[in-house]
Amino acid sequence: MAWTWFHRLGSPPYVYGLAVRLTPWFAWSAALCIVAGCFGGLVLAPADYQQGDDFRIIYVHAPSAWMSLMVYTTMAISAAVGLIWRIKVCHAVAAACAPIGASFTLEALVTGSLWGYRMWGTYWEWDPRLTSELILFFLYLGYMGLRSSIDDAQRADRASAVLAVVGVVNVPIIHFSVMWWNSLHQAPSVMQLAAPTMPASMLTPLLLMLLGFTLMFAALLLVRLRGEILSRERSANWIREAVAS
Amino acid sequence: MSEFLNMGGYAVYVWSSYGLCAIVIAWNIIGARRLLARSREEARRKLAMRGEEA
Repeated sequence: MAWTWFHRLGSPPYVYGLAVRLTPWFAWSAALCIVAGCFGGLVLAPADYQQGDDFRIIYVHAPSAWMSLMVYTTMAISAAVGLIWRIKVCHAVAAACAPIGASFTLEALVTGSLWGYRMWGTYWEWDPRLTSELILFFLYLGYMGLRSSIDDAQRADRASAVLAVVGVVNVPIIHFSVMWWNSLHQAPSVMQLAAPTMPASMLTPLLLMLLGFTLMFAALLLVRLRGEILSRERSANWIREAVAS
Repeated sequence: MSEFLNMGGYAVYVWSSYGLCAIVIAWNIIGARRLLARSREEARRKLAMRGEEA
């Protein structure tokens, strides 16, 4: 009995209905967190004693970088589950993740470059963290390119899932790159086992932004997932209800 | 206010980062809604074609 909810998550109509109901909750709480986080980060947080106001880029850079890794991990896990148990909804989740992840990876790269220009004196360096993050961007692009190059939906799902699963090896490389190699990029100040190395006035807006971006990902994913589910369903009667409303 | 906009001399870098962030979020919202609208349209077309066959 306890597992029925889990089995229902494999049913397209159930997931579609769930997505319709949950999207507004995620979207509005995300908007609230992001607006509060921006206000805290741009207005309330004090300027950094070394970096001045330039450090405020962290409030868009770190959440984007977090998204780039979290979305990829979500995509790889659902692709793997889709491959192993042949669950269509899981492939739909993976397909919905890719454009979201790619856009935030690009944002992490560009905001990092803008931040690095004044702090490091260069827009770009072939540094372990920067290079592995760029590879992540290409993995997303490769995933989407592979999907769109295969007409048959089932074959596209399976082929792109293999790419997503193989590429996940890059995620820990990105995270640990700043510890394994000599990198220009700083070590983590929040995503670490010890307490964050930031005062509360700077940390709170960052946590709000991280939460807001994660909730926004959930909302965006659910909307895209509905589209992906609809395009995968061929003969189901419930589509009639889904498009009627 | 102008002090706030000036961002301690880092205005170009700070505001372009936040501006890009706003563009990426807007692109994601529009893109997701467009994908859903397109899929609904396609599903509707398929249903209509099947209706004619029946």
